[in-house]
Amino acid sequence: MDVDIDYDNLDVGAVMDQVKKAAASRPPAPGREERSRPPVSPGAPPASGGTASPPPGPLGFKAKLKAKALKAMAPFFPVIRLFALPLHEEIQAAVRSLDRTNRELDVRTAAAGLRFRDLDRAMEYIKLLHTLNHNLVLEVTKLRVELEGLKSRARVLEKDFEYAGRRQKTLEGRVLR
Amino acid sequence: MTVAFVVQRYGLEVNGGAELHCRWVAEHMAKHWPVEVLTTCARDYITWANHYPPGEERTNGVPVRRFPVSRPRDPEKFGRLQEAILGREHREQDELDWLEEEGPTSPALLKFLKSREKDYDHLIFFSYRYWHSYHGIRALPAKSILVPTAEHDPVVHLKIFKDLFRLPRAFVYNSEEERAMIQTLSRNEAIPGLVVGVGTEVPAESSAERFRLKHGLVGPYLIYIGRVDRNKGCDKLFEYFLWFKEDTGSDVKLVLIGNSVLPIPGHPDIIPLGFQPEEDKFDGLAGAELLVMPSFYESLSMVTLEAWALGRPVLANARCEVLRGQCRRSNGGLFYEDYPQFREALKLLLRSKDLRRRLGENGRKYFLENYTWEIIEGKYLAIVGQLEGRPS
Repeated sequence: MDVDIDYDNLDVGAVMDQVKKAAASRPPAPGREERSRPPVSPGAPPASGGTASPPPGPLGFKAKLKAKALKAMAPFFPVIRLFALPLHEEIQAAVRSLDRTNRELDVRTAAAGLRFRDLDRAMEYIKLLHTLNHNLVLEVTKLRVELEGLKSRARVLEKDFEYAGRRQKTLEGRVLR
Repeated sequence: MTVAFVVQRYGLEVNGGAELHCRWVAEHMAKHWPVEVLTTCARDYITWANHYPPGEERTNGVPVRRFPVSRPRDPEKFGRLQEAILGREHREQDELDWLEEEGPTSPALLKFLKSREKDYDHLIFFSYRYWHSYHGIRALPAKSILVPTAEHDPVVHLKIFKDLFRLPRAFVYNSEEERAMIQTLSRNEAIPGLVVGVGTEVPAESSAERFRLKHGLVGPYLIYIGRVDRNKGCDKLFEYFLWFKEDTGSDVKLVLIGNSVLPIPGHPDIIPLGFQPEEDKFDGLAGAELLVMPSFYESLSMVTLEAWALGRPVLANARCEVLRGQCRRSNGGLFYEDYPQFREALKLLLRSKDLRRRLGENGRKYFLENYTWEIIEGKYLAIVGQLEGRPS
């Protein structure tokens, strides 16, 4: 990256413009987008170190021993199957059933979680609606009281007006007489 | 004239940002006014459990009055309340419930403030987000000066704080960005406020050689100083640093100074040294090619100022407005928003000694012009003088 820098009048903004241009021209390699890697435990081997394959064991001797043992046991296999297999199948069936139940529970727990969240939200809305209702009732009551007051005032004014009319007529009568 | 500093925790063992800031300012302003510190008995900021005995004592010559916290915080309940107020529609009462749980709840401190109001001419509250500031400022707004130490985190948008920011008589901000954020949120432009920040004590001499010998360091290294925490952007820093090494084959190392609450990758070029004494911290800074600051939220990064005080350049996270603003204003550091920018900026900095030197010089000049203790003390005197009706 060639960056033109005026060291006598250094302007970080100008340097950063060039840095950004250089960065834009060389996007990150695949897999280096903005995301966090899984946490790395303390003392873990270096990331760049690669993974070593497991060391080879003494397979020759073990394989021979295993083959001989299998050969010697071959006549007893049907008996072994007779005793071991049903139990094994039963265990497998139980494990499968437990696994199914477990999965079902997971699904139901997740659904319940969602329901709880919705309920929480609904509760918040209900609380807000209660407050809103309360405020509306309060305002309507105040308006009602004000309306009654204004009605009374209008009635008084009406009476005053009638009285003033009567008085005016009397006075006019007197003046004209 | 007596001035009280009101802060959530106080003590030599307390080294949280705002609390240390308060202690340093109180100790320096004690030269100019009779000062007193009003605080709680808490030392732990998670639970606020009472640790120090209540009553009066002196810390580095400054009188301190401590008041008990009436109930410790339940972190689980606090987390639930915070999630509720930040993620759902809520009422003001919910925010107040959250504040009550956040604490440190100390009715004794509030009672003292109300009953002894006349003894103090000004009350300087540190950290807007805690119980003591909210209730203290609401009780005595006419005498309150707030040092918000606000970051761009979601809590600052709560309704209760918008109202709070309109109450004090004056503000002492840490940065231009903090002032702009608070003024935008609360429209409190009419309240006087100065951007002050905090000074820092830099040792007369620091030795890069001493640091290298002590820790067996060879070759160039970047340094990060502070809590090694996901909240401080350290996970991203590790990710970027390891990618940078793979991409460029650079032999640069990353030295970490500070306690860790995050698993650190076991790479031979990432060297966690844990908590180190001040002398080692400055020695480490002196020998570093640059300081790297990956934090997303800072109201004022003291360690950035310390790096500039020593003439070291900074590579900062541009997503933190304060750090980006400071790098631009000082011309003392570069910044990055993503990995490609991190890679290019770091490559440039490591390649160009002249650029590092020049950035460091600019940073030092910026520090000397804005953050020496004479300047900080002068600004505090000016703002209090303004409130007293004296020309600054």
